[in-house]
Amino acid sequence: MAISAATKAATDALAVNRAPVSVGAQEVHRWMQSFTWDFEKNRTKYSTKYKMANDTKEQFKLIAKEYARMESVKDERQFGSLQDVLTRVDAANRVHPKWNESMKVISNFLEVGEYNAIAATGMLWDSATAPEQKNGYLGQVMDEIRHTNQCGYINYYFAKQGQDAAGHNDARRTRAIGPLWKGMKRVFSDGFISGDAVECSINLQLVGEACFTNPLIVAVTEWASANGDEMTPTVFLSIETDELRHMANGYQTVVSIANDEAASKYLNTDLNNAFWTQQKYFTPVLGMMFEYGSHFKVEPWVKTWNRWVYEDWGGIWIGRLGKYGVQSPASLRDAKKDAYWAHHDLFMIAYALWPTGFFRVTLPTAEEAEWYEANYPGWYDMYGKVYDEWRARGCEDPDSGFLPLQWFIENNHPIYIDRVSQVPFCPSYCKGASTLRVLEYNGKKHSFSDQWGERMWLSEPERYECQNIWEQYEGRELSEVITEGHGLRSDGKTLISQPHTNKDGKMWTLDDIKKINCVFSDPLKAL
Amino acid sequence: MSTSSNAYGAGIMAKTGKAFADEYFSEENQVVHESNEVVLVLKKSDEINSVVHEILLGDRKADNPTLIVEDRAGYWWLKATGKIEIDCTEVSELLGKHFSVYDLLVDVSSTIGRAYTLGETFTITSELMGLDVKLQDLQTA
Repeated sequence: MAISAATKAATDALAVNRAPVSVGAQEVHRWMQSFTWDFEKNRTKYSTKYKMANDTKEQFKLIAKEYARMESVKDERQFGSLQDVLTRVDAANRVHPKWNESMKVISNFLEVGEYNAIAATGMLWDSATAPEQKNGYLGQVMDEIRHTNQCGYINYYFAKQGQDAAGHNDARRTRAIGPLWKGMKRVFSDGFISGDAVECSINLQLVGEACFTNPLIVAVTEWASANGDEMTPTVFLSIETDELRHMANGYQTVVSIANDEAASKYLNTDLNNAFWTQQKYFTPVLGMMFEYGSHFKVEPWVKTWNRWVYEDWGGIWIGRLGKYGVQSPASLRDAKKDAYWAHHDLFMIAYALWPTGFFRVTLPTAEEAEWYEANYPGWYDMYGKVYDEWRARGCEDPDSGFLPLQWFIENNHPIYIDRVSQVPFCPSYCKGASTLRVLEYNGKKHSFSDQWGERMWLSEPERYECQNIWEQYEGRELSEVITEGHGLRSDGKTLISQPHTNKDGKMWTLDDIKKINCVFSDPLKAL
Repeated sequence: MSTSSNAYGAGIMAKTGKAFADEYFSEENQVVHESNEVVLVLKKSDEINSVVHEILLGDRKADNPTLIVEDRAGYWWLKATGKIEIDCTEVSELLGKHFSVYDLLVDVSSTIGRAYTLGETFTITSELMGLDVKLQDLQTA
């Protein structure tokens, strides 16, 4: 069919000068700046005591097209690995059983953090006035949705492909009774989304992400690999490829307020509160998961903490901001003490309260005890000898009638719950930075483990009204509590949690717990 | 084992037991100390392994003698004094395909320091970008 002269002319011209099909992403980024984006008079539902500057930048110059392309490549690689080679080599069944249990906690809890980070960064998008800063936050909202799915998927993968699915699936149903859940909600939820918007950014981005995602999402992959788990590195290192933009968002939030007068008044207090809030939970819980939840050890947790938290986050992020008035967190001394000892303290309590959990725990072997003593001199006299006693009393055997919680009661070592962090602690038997403080407010007693949380509580006590498990289940017998809190496997009688990971070991049932007649009591009532 | 102060096991990390504890709990180590180093975590992949071996530890090794690269199972851990830069036009030439700075970001897992892109270059620096140094936009020719 003949074409018109005009069409022929156009076709000939295009053959010589091809029409551009695309331009560079950063050219588009620069071009978009010529639009008159003006959010200076932005009204927000989420206020802050700081004035955020209007010219803050997004460090990666990301536009939507490149963002979408980049993230789709990440997902293709991750899901391709999981669904192809890792399934083909039966990777989920090559994981050491102890580490399989750790991932029940790590991935389920991270999922909650990611979910709340969606709301947190949506809030920050609403608060910011700089167009590029808004763009950075918006990208992060989408990242957090991706991460929530990734964490859910890894539990699904472990449950479907691997060993002992109970706990990988539907862990949330135990959230009322599990002693680690409420503290996790404090750092991963309340800390990210409640209160001043910039303070939330400091919690989420400057401390949570720039500091603790490095051990939680990066270093954890080394422990995973060492213990036969190649799924976690595949997913978590992909999650972390978004975190660098989140760290930059947190840094740019600080840049946006650096010249505001309010920063000189409040920033150091907010930073210290955020640091203590995050470390109070992550330090002992991650240390416990890495060391007590693994068979093959990478390095002592205190070294991991010293590298990622103290030397690198402390020196490279916080230390460099010193000339802008940012100070070393006042709580650092106590945090360092916790990094050395608090995970050992927490494991004792976690093991004592094992029936309320959704993962299985194992006492250290003789070989592991040697490793602990070599790396934490004094470990055996404080912890190791107690574990020897518990083992001798048959703590793993359902027929023994012995729960380690009884040891704490018999030896008059009450376990309290810190009101602010919701982390359990035993002030009369610990080596971390915890000491008992009790305050009364509105006719109710509140226990605290440290001055930092106590100070936060004193400034807004109504924020920390969450009931702890002792208050909630005061006077209730343990098997009733487990049933009510959904701590049972699908047969309706075997506990999800167990005090061992021996696949041939006898499993504890509700009847085994019932015959011990362990009744919850609130230690604050005795004071 | 590297003797560089930037190595993964350098300084206090080389100590164990009581010797580690003594230094860890020493009075001078109860506050943070300003550091001019940067840390980069690269997720292992076909392209990233080439970047590490052929560029950072290959053609560009002399550019940054402080750079340390360590194999940590699923990722490469890099630490350097001042900054680390990766020019993705060089990576494109090496790989024989277009490889943009956003392709690189697919496998950049973590950063400690101020990381940013400009054109096809990825930089992580100890400088305080946006405070001491202005963040630049792409300039047209």
